[in-house]
Order: sequence, then C-alpha cells, then structure tokens
Amino acid sequence: MFSRVAALLVLVPSVVFAQRPVIEISGANFRPMPLAVAVPLTQDDGAKTGAAEFDAALSFDFAACGLFQVLDRKSFLADAKEGVTASSIQFPRWTDVGAESLIKTQLSSDGANLRGDLRLFSVAAGREELKVSESVPAKDARKLAHKLANAVYKHFTRETGPFETRIAFTKKSASGRDVYVADWDGKNAARITNGDVNVLPALIPGGGVAFTSYRSKKPFLFASHGGDPVQLVAKGSMVTGGAFSPDGKRLAVSVSEGENAEIYVGNADGSGMVKVTDTKFFLNTSPSWSPDGKRIAFVSNRAGNPQIYVMGADGSAQKRITFQGNYNTTPNWSPRGDLIAFTARDERNAFDLFTVNVENNKITRLTQDASGNEEPVFSPNGRLILFSSTRGGSRGLHVMTFDGNNQMPLPMEKSDVTTPDWAN
Amino acid sequence: MATTTPASLLDDRPSALPLFVVGSVVAHGLAIATWLILGWAFGGPKVDLEQTPIKASLVRLGKPRDEKLLPRKEEEAPPPAQKVEEVALPSPAVDKAVKIPSKDAKPDKSAEKKDGAKDAKKSLFDAFNKTGKAGKPEELEGQADGDPNGDSAKQEGERYFGLLNSVVKRNYDVSSTIDEAERRRLRAEVALRIGPAGELLDVSLVKPSGNELFDSAVLGAVKKAAPFSAPPEHLRDSLKKSGVSFVFTP
Repeated sequence: MFSRVAALLVLVPSVVFAQRPVIEISGANFRPMPLAVAVPLTQDDGAKTGAAEFDAALSFDFAACGLFQVLDRKSFLADAKEGVTASSIQFPRWTDVGAESLIKTQLSSDGANLRGDLRLFSVAAGREELKVSESVPAKDARKLAHKLANAVYKHFTRETGPFETRIAFTKKSASGRDVYVADWDGKNAARITNGDVNVLPALIPGGGVAFTSYRSKKPFLFASHGGDPVQLVAKGSMVTGGAFSPDGKRLAVSVSEGENAEIYVGNADGSGMVKVTDTKFFLNTSPSWSPDGKRIAFVSNRAGNPQIYVMGADGSAQKRITFQGNYNTTPNWSPRGDLIAFTARDERNAFDLFTVNVENNKITRLTQDASGNEEPVFSPNGRLILFSSTRGGSRGLHVMTFDGNNQMPLPMEKSDVTTPDWAN
Repeated sequence: MATTTPASLLDDRPSALPLFVVGSVVAHGLAIATWLILGWAFGGPKVDLEQTPIKASLVRLGKPRDEKLLPRKEEEAPPPAQKVEEVALPSPAVDKAVKIPSKDAKPDKSAEKKDGAKDAKKSLFDAFNKTGKAGKPEELEGQADGDPNGDSAKQEGERYFGLLNSVVKRNYDVSSTIDEAERRRLRAEVALRIGPAGELLDVSLVKPSGNELFDSAVLGAVKKAAPFSAPPEHLRDSLKKSGVSFVFTP
C-alpha cells in the first residue's frame, strides 16, 4: 500500500523552485455541481400566471439531467428580492449555502408572449457566465423553461440538452391502452390513439409515432403523424417492436409467424420488408438500431432463453453479447454507440436494468432493490435513461443518468404507464 | 644456622581444583534437581476448563459470485445480518476454540512433554543449521537500493507526502458538468506552503488548466484539506519556505 502511495509521489525538481517537491494527484471525484436556482422574478401579472409552471419545469430539468445538484431553496440566505445582475447579488450568501453556480431568471409578458431572461453566475468568481433570453407563446411557460435550461446545458457540456425532446408511452384506458406523446418530462402529453389496445410506441425521427395496434383485429404496426393512424406493416400473425433507424429512412420490426418470430428490415413507410433473421422455432424480437444505422441489437431465445444479440442491419454477423442472467430483454442502443441498455430478470426474480458494453460485453447494473424496473430507453444525447418502474406503487416513468445515478420519477401521474420511447 | 632448600617449581603441590569441580557438579546437580522438583510441584499455570471461552474465528471471503449471474452493485450495503440470538456461544465441553488460561492454571503435562520433545529436536536442528551457516556472511535485510546509513527520515518524508496526497484527494471533487472530451486534457498545478503546525500558509494556482471549474475545484481541494498534519521536523523549514506543488489531472 505504502509503495503504491510512494509511487504516486513524483519528486522532480522544478525549474523555478528547485527545492519544491511535486505530488501528482489523479482520480477526481466527478459529482453534480451544486446549483442554486433562485425563484423567478416576475415583472407583470401576465408573467405571474406562468411563473409557477416555468419554475417547476426549470427546476426539474436541472435536477433530473444529472449534471447539477439543485440546492434546496429552504437553505437560501439571500434576499428573495435580490437583483439579477452581478453587482446586485451578494455572492457570499450563495457561497455560504454551498452553491457553485447560481441561476437567476426574470419573466415578462406582453399579453401574447412570455419572455424569459436567464443569467448564470459563477458564485466563486462573482461573475456572470451566461445571459440568454427566449420568448414563447404565453401558454407555453414550460417550453420557455426547457429552452432556457437547454442553453445552460449547452454552456456547460457543449452538447444539445435533452429538454426539448419528445417521449412516447402507453397508458391504460377504459377500453385498453392508448399511446401518448409528451415533452421529455411527461408533461404536455397528447393522446395519439383513442380506444383499442395500442402498445410499443416508437417515435419516428422528424415527427410522428408508430405503434402496434389491435384496431384491425390482428396486432399490426401503425403510424400516426397527428391524424388517423395508418397501417405500416401487416405481416404474419403479429408485428411488434417497430424501430426506426436514426436517419429515419429504415424500419425494423419483429414479425411473428407460427412458432417463431423474425426480424424484418425495410423502408420507413413499411415497404420492402426483408427478413434478416431466420431461426426456426425461435423468437427474434425487440430490434434497436445502432447510432450509425449499420447494426441492430435484438433479443433471441435461440440459446434456450432470451439473450441480447447484435447483427448487421442486413442480418449478417449475428453475435450474442449477454452471457450473464437467463432472461435479458428490451435492448436499447445508446446514441453514443458504446452501450446497450436492457431489462434483465436476476436470480431473485427481480426485473432490473443493466447496460452491456458493445465492445467488451461488460455488464453494469443500473438499478437494484427498488421494485421492478423495465424498458430502458436512452435520451437522444445518450446521457440519460428513461424507464418504467413500479417503485412507489403503480407503474410510472423514471429517469436516471446512463450509469444509473440520480434516479427520479417524472412529474406525471402514475397510472400504469409503460414502454417509453425517446427521440428528438 | 638452618639450611633452606629452595622448592622446585616442578615439585608436586596440593591443588584445590578437583575439590572445586566436584563441589560445583554437586551444587549444580542439586540446583537442577530442586528446580525440577519445584517446577513439578508448583510450576505452570492452571487451566480452568470451566471458564467461558473467548472464541476467535478465522474469517475468509465468501464464495465468488457465479459468473453466470447478473452483477450486483458493489456500493450497495449487504443484506441485513442474521438474528443476533442465533449466534449463541458454544458449550465449553465441545468447543475447540483457543482458550485463554488463567493465571494459576495447570499445564497439560502430556502436551508439555510432547512440546518439550519437539522443542529439543528443533533446537538441536537449529544448532546444526547455525553451525552449517556459520561460515557464510550475514545476510542484510532491506531493499537492495536502500540507504546503507538508514533512511528513516526519508521514509518519514515520503509518508508525510503520502498523507498530503490522500487528504487532498479525499477533497478532490470536480463538477460533472465538464465534458468527457475536455477532461482528458485538463492539468493544473497548485503551489502551497505549509507551516510547522500543518497550517496552510498560502496557496496559489501556478499553472491553470484553462477550465475555470477545474481550476476552482483543485484550489478548493487543497483549501478544504487544510489544516494538514504537522510536518516532520526535517521538512518543516522547506515546506515553510519553498512549499510543495500538487499537479492535478482528472
């Protein structure tokens, strides 16, 4: 042990300070940045109307994205009416509550539109780091929050944030299940189907959603672009697991035929479907595209129990990549390309979420001892995972970072909500 | 007038040596006999077989997890321990655990005999071994590249720097908002001076990384780690005057 510590000490003479020993330190503990989000200041009555929604959406975005530790407002020492410019802010008061960054927002309304101004401050430096303004229709206070949160996210990560993306899910209805499309936080949900049983929604890049529906008696694949659903694929006895390639040009589905189910790949409009797996008496389901659109992950029980496999989009080079556990399903390929998230039933018969590294097949557990967790799906930037969970009662949607940290529920009603999908 | 005959040096003269040798042998024999008799009669601690034993258990790692099973999260706490009542002390009669003898316990003679025989054998072989090795030069312990004059001061210094490393590393928290690509190129150097009691005299960023979040985190790591332990005597002067540098990489 001591020799290892000693090895870390590199005593090299410095040019300037010949006598000063140098100690090299690595292995930083990366942790969410403590962020204070001040209560929004409103400048008129119109702004006050949407302030609460705006504030809730902004706080959730920062808290759920995994980059920040949003500090509890109860601990704040600064005056609630403190100004929004660096010269009017008493930074020591924010330092005292542990904040490293501070967000100040100001809302104003001209009747039709709601305008939001956001300023980001470095508390230690006492300096404004970012100033951004956005304007939206007055009723879209949450959207305004997502836009501003995205600007902050991009400031830190240089990546587009996930806050203006869409999710799809199904929810129990009186006559079966319906498909919904909502904002990333589950709010602003729009029902796409009306009646019958509709399952396994897949968002179409560029707009619209596909899903398996029993509306034509047999469960086939339909798509909706806002209007009435149109049939996309009607083959075999059942078409499930529709998945669109990242460029939106191709579609993969699983078609059940007698005792087996095979993966088909074709055009996004359902034409030209070609069978790419062929394993008689076995099931091949749940296709998920790699970010480059060249490979597909899927589930097959050809080895005796359901395991995750990958193959070329044309069915070539089929390769099993999970060898632990005996029930691994619902693969979802990270848009970053390195990981595939999946649901597994472990030896305690608990459903939990895992990732498998595509290169070395290393499996990492994401959830544990927190009720049933299933159906993981990556955010479009690959930093977050949305999943369904029975923790806290009825099945609802939760979000966490790609490595299983910061698990939290979406602020939406939990009423048997399942099979999420997530896209731009 | 009396004539004196000088005594020859070669003449026999009465000697006390035989008497002394005989006396010594008898005295030693008596002393050994007395020691053996007294030892047999009173010696050795009594073993109290009725006392409650203190059980020492050797613990080893459990069976490795089956590779076919899905992994568990390492940081999670293990499942709750079994009921305390179940861990009952075994009865002394059947217990094979090591017993601690009381002050006046009697030794187990048969065991003593066996051990004594073993010890005698061992010491005999040891004696042979020593004789056999007598001609060889004494082997020196320690590192081949060690300082022949001793290096306790150097070791103490290294230990102190190791301590600084560990306390600063414990506070080396960096914001996860720094993206992965940038993390790879980050490197910052911080210089600090430490007082004789371990107090932080001053700290400065001598080579910034270019990322303010990282620079502020490494300065924070040093400040939060202070005050440090008092430096060893021989380092006090240099740590006060020249200080020490930390080079941080993620």
